[in-house]
Amino acid sequence: MEQSKQLIGIKEYIAIVILMIGTKLSDDTPAILFEQIKNAGWMAPIINGIIAIIPIYLLMKVVGNYKDKSLAEVTDHLFGKFFGFIILFTLLVVAFCATIVDTAIYTDIIGTMYFTKTPTIIIYGILIVVCAYGARRGFEQIGSAAWTVFPYLQVSLLLALILSIREGNTAFLFPLFGPGPWEIAKESSLRLSIYADFFYLFLFFPLIKSKKDFIKGTWLGLVFIVLNIAIFMTCFVFLFDYKTIMQLSYPYHEVIRTISMGFLTNMETFFLPFWLIASFVRFSIYLYINALLIGHLFRIRHFEYLIPSLATLIVFLGLIPESPTFTIFNLKEKILLIATPLFFFLPVLMWVVAMFKGEFKHANKKKRK
Amino acid sequence: MLKKLLRRSYRNKKVNSEKSSEEEIKLNESNINSNLNKTVDSFKTIYSYPDNQDVVLRNIHISGSNKKAAILFINTITNAKSIEDYVISPLLQNQDSSKQIDEIITVQSLQTKNKISEIVTHINNGNAALFVEGENKAYLLGATNFEGRNVEKAENENVVKGSKEAFNEKSATNISLIRKRIKSESLVVESLIISKRSKNDLFIVYEKDLVNDKLLQNVKDRVNALDVDAIQNLSLLEQQIEERKYSIFPTILYTERPDRAASFIEDGYIVLLMDNSPDSLVLPATFWSFYHTSEDHYLRFPYGNFTRFLRILALFISLFTSSLYVAVVTFHAEMVPPDLLLAIAATREKVPFPAAIEVFIMEIAFELIREAGLRVPSPIGPTIGIVGALILGQAAVQANIVSPIVVIIVALGGLSSFAIGDISMNFTVRIGRLLLLFAASFMGLYGITALFTMAIFYMVSIKSFGVPYLSPLTPNYKSSKDTIFRRVLQKETFRPGYLKPKDMTKR
Repeated sequence: MEQSKQLIGIKEYIAIVILMIGTKLSDDTPAILFEQIKNAGWMAPIINGIIAIIPIYLLMKVVGNYKDKSLAEVTDHLFGKFFGFIILFTLLVVAFCATIVDTAIYTDIIGTMYFTKTPTIIIYGILIVVCAYGARRGFEQIGSAAWTVFPYLQVSLLLALILSIREGNTAFLFPLFGPGPWEIAKESSLRLSIYADFFYLFLFFPLIKSKKDFIKGTWLGLVFIVLNIAIFMTCFVFLFDYKTIMQLSYPYHEVIRTISMGFLTNMETFFLPFWLIASFVRFSIYLYINALLIGHLFRIRHFEYLIPSLATLIVFLGLIPESPTFTIFNLKEKILLIATPLFFFLPVLMWVVAMFKGEFKHANKKKRK
Repeated sequence: MLKKLLRRSYRNKKVNSEKSSEEEIKLNESNINSNLNKTVDSFKTIYSYPDNQDVVLRNIHISGSNKKAAILFINTITNAKSIEDYVISPLLQNQDSSKQIDEIITVQSLQTKNKISEIVTHINNGNAALFVEGENKAYLLGATNFEGRNVEKAENENVVKGSKEAFNEKSATNISLIRKRIKSESLVVESLIISKRSKNDLFIVYEKDLVNDKLLQNVKDRVNALDVDAIQNLSLLEQQIEERKYSIFPTILYTERPDRAASFIEDGYIVLLMDNSPDSLVLPATFWSFYHTSEDHYLRFPYGNFTRFLRILALFISLFTSSLYVAVVTFHAEMVPPDLLLAIAATREKVPFPAAIEVFIMEIAFELIREAGLRVPSPIGPTIGIVGALILGQAAVQANIVSPIVVIIVALGGLSSFAIGDISMNFTVRIGRLLLLFAASFMGLYGITALFTMAIFYMVSIKSFGVPYLSPLTPNYKSSKDTIFRRVLQKETFRPGYLKPKDMTKR
């Protein structure tokens, strides 16, 4: 009936947000945070979450001001064609690098933790084929798929949490502030860009059923993600203490290796499928974002057709680094550090420009009319 | 050379056949003549009388008005007795010259037509045609009587509690079975002719104050767009009108239970009926309509949901057991508790094949037994059971071709697949199981998960007549939330919102 309209509801949107960003707790993001702030690492997601409110709020003001315009169109509108292109191109480069690095990390996780004998290219290939297939189906379908699997993923995560808390030691949490409050604030805010994905969510603004759904979904998603990551990072500290955890690249996978339930002593393969599904959905969205941006930048209307070639490119670029566990860990840290100012100052800049151009007044006038 | 010759001869033949059919078409398009002899002659050529054994042509003399007349029908599909009683004898016995023909005949339904093609259609549908001297029209007398079976018990969709009636091959009976359940003037039964040569009738059944007009138009458009010679029954029609012809997921529901069809109509769905099909097509269909059975709602709330729980369990067991076994034994042996692992290893010790091959052998054997059991003539049916169970189960283990645990795994999966009653979904599950088994043999759990995720991505992108396959789960619509589990009957107050019915609330 209404086949042309591809709008998604709030449930699907929240599922997308959480699977896209919340999945970070299961890769090496916690390790990056623990590295500098030691046992107080669990505070970083909370501090960052609070700081992230500012850019997200400003961006919501700016983008929400226009009806049916995505972040890309708003940027073009505010900064003009030339600067708009440069900004969006930078965003695309960051997104593309992040996609390559993250897919490489996930491939590495699968390769080192579960399938040690399988060639990397096969693992990488399957990962990308599934994600490209998902992304090719379209945004609406990614949302639906995310919502279909979301409850089960959360249940599996909760189970992992319960089982690991049982075996943890709360004393490992102290001293509470680890290397000191100032250090925590500085180091964690430098890595604010773990939430940079929120910025990209604004690309989907016109694809959500209503503005209210988008705002509500984004805030709910943020709260949920902050809680999810913080609680899990606390849990990692309980279980391993800070000395060990600084050595571990993928704490989540070590956790599910450690825990046991009744007669099942090795649970990691039980959690693997759920984590895999979450990752597949996550990278489908990443791929879709990349294609969307390219489509906008180079005026390609049916950008879905780009996805397969984009995916192939990602596989070959992602395969380049040798000993990925260390190389990519460093690469990712660099990207995080570079993206942080972008994520914080761009929304501020957009808001300021919109203020000076009198965009908000225009909108108010329109409303009054 | 040969090709050229052949082509030439084909071309000649074609021209010939076209010529003859052209004449026929001309005859069919013309009106009937007021000269009785001429009319009768043209119908004789149309029906190849008297070569055609069951075509009856009887000349009579209407004594009252002193006119000659002829009556034509096909006696195998017409009720000869009623023609005799209500048409022929009144005409012969009539003495009143002022009476018109339609006043003499006492048969139930009577209409007049003058175009030959229309008359022919009526005769082919079992009506009798009466031609009268000096009149350029034919009287068509309703006396259809096709042979068929009576209303019998449902054979494929069994229930313990609830109505036992099933559709049969007569569409009139099927419509009556639905009307018996929905006694409402808004129930509409539209009829369409959908094939060019055999002129098969299709009945579209819906409630006019519920069904979404766009949906109805969509269905009608798709049916009208068909350009085929013959469509024998609904199973063939289903394949003509479905959207994704290569997909392993069915998108049109096929049910033989009138109660189920009626409850779908009451929710705003559209039901298709046809002669020669002991079933109905319900559209649009979602994944849930294949997963549900009518009994879920006939049973009390806890019992109904218990069967639902068993069914979803069976669905997952039959999809995943064999592939999980292969994945765990081949790739993730550390997952199994040591005692069990030792037990499995001990039974596998003498088996020369890898686990994947072993499971494949058993799966194929199981499917073969199943297929053979379906086709075997019923007197030798029990033999299949003995051969299947004893030789393939017991002996294969003793011969060290498969390990006992594989027999358990495959039997469990195969047995569970029977819990999904719908025949199309059953095939989906069985094919899906084999695909998952392939994935598991190559990449273990990673392969299974990859395929499963792709299947989910695929499922959410399927649409049946514009309705998303997994709705109302996703995308979300206002509905009674009758998906994996059902709710208490009093709380199921909404019609499914994805159909956009004219009336959303049930009361």
